[in-house]
Amino acid sequence: MSLPSFDYRAPETVEKAIALRQEYGDDALLMAGGLVVMILLRERLVQPRTIINLSEISALRRIDLSKKTLRIGAAVTHSEITNSEQVRSVAPMLCEACGRVGSPAIRNMGTLGGSICHGDGASDPAPALLALDADAMVSGPSGQRRIPLKNFFRGVFSTELEEDELLTELLVPVPAKGTQTRFMKYTSTSEEAFATVTVAVSLLRKRSGKCAEVRIGLGSVAPIPMRALEAENLLRGKVATKELIADVASAAALEADPASDAQASEQYRRDMTAVWVRRVLEDMLL
Amino acid sequence: MIPQEKMAVTINGESHELDVSVNKTLIDLIKDDLGLVGTKDGCRQGVCGACTVLVDGVPIRSCLELAIRCNGKQITTVEGLREVDSLHPLQQAFIDAGAVQCGYCTPGMLMMATAFLKENPNPTEEEVREALIGNICRCTGYTGSVRAVLAVAEGAAT
Repeated sequence: MSLPSFDYRAPETVEKAIALRQEYGDDALLMAGGLVVMILLRERLVQPRTIINLSEISALRRIDLSKKTLRIGAAVTHSEITNSEQVRSVAPMLCEACGRVGSPAIRNMGTLGGSICHGDGASDPAPALLALDADAMVSGPSGQRRIPLKNFFRGVFSTELEEDELLTELLVPVPAKGTQTRFMKYTSTSEEAFATVTVAVSLLRKRSGKCAEVRIGLGSVAPIPMRALEAENLLRGKVATKELIADVASAAALEADPASDAQASEQYRRDMTAVWVRRVLEDMLL
Repeated sequence: MIPQEKMAVTINGESHELDVSVNKTLIDLIKDDLGLVGTKDGCRQGVCGACTVLVDGVPIRSCLELAIRCNGKQITTVEGLREVDSLHPLQQAFIDAGAVQCGYCTPGMLMMATAFLKENPNPTEEEVREALIGNICRCTGYTGSVRAVLAVAEGAAT
């Protein structure tokens, strides 16, 4: 089936894109990689007057690493992130997460910003970015604002982004020396499927063995990508033992809020959350 | 009236200047407007891989791309693999390995494998399987395709 009719604009700067956002409001839909938008269009789930293509805005396609911050443009593709030496040097977990999105051709099209703005609880990079304590940099008519990613997701397919705003970059703080990270995507069907559960952990242990910083990102087990804050609190300030890790894993499973779908039941997702949080933490800490 | 735009695109080495509807997908441009029917139209959801083509050498799903976004780019379809008077080594290897039954997934697999071998000329079997993970075949069970790609890699190495 062909696509519905729409106007097409391809601005070359962020400012022009925002001006178009102001002009069209919710009559326009942004397209970066196009994976989500093209399917929504084809299924007639959206019928925008205008498509604003973002792929010609070079400012959205840059990766930049300074001493303190890794900045990734919103329209950088998953493949570009997976292959980026700069990203790998400070956030290898993000390379792994982007390398687990769909299949190779999908990773060549899909963008990090697209995955975040879609607000899908099953996003693979989102839990990694949450564990890395990333911020979303957003531009609008009145300037820029920086939103911690943990506050960016509002509900199913809904984010903090206003109708005249644009996500321009994801900002990842360069982790302190000695920080450990792990990313794990578990699928119960085939490798390229959406995850049953995704676990991303970043932690820093003191010389005493106590966990100083702990962040646990979870995917596919709630309406939005989430941090397992209760689980983190149990572990923070403690020396990990097998028993403590089991408690942390149970806490993560309890605060998860999964839904049943064709791939997995609510209970199965919850059980797998406990299993994989436990395995990941045991692997990192014992 | 669907808005039209002018675009220039090179397909299999041949330049075209076209007027396209902005809502036309790349696969429709390739098959309907240019008559290159080797590229296959499968799920139209980006899942099956049958419509895979190369844009500036990078494999993408032509069902999920707007034609207009390829303005100024180089597209390669399965028709562009053939060398002057012989098949591309991958095409021959697919035949030799019996990797083709109904053949619907073959053009997509060939495009994916072409780009993959360019990047990784000496792959392991596991790497080949990972590269073809997004190209669904419902006939052969993949062993033939994997064998064919490995045979080309080995042939090129010797």
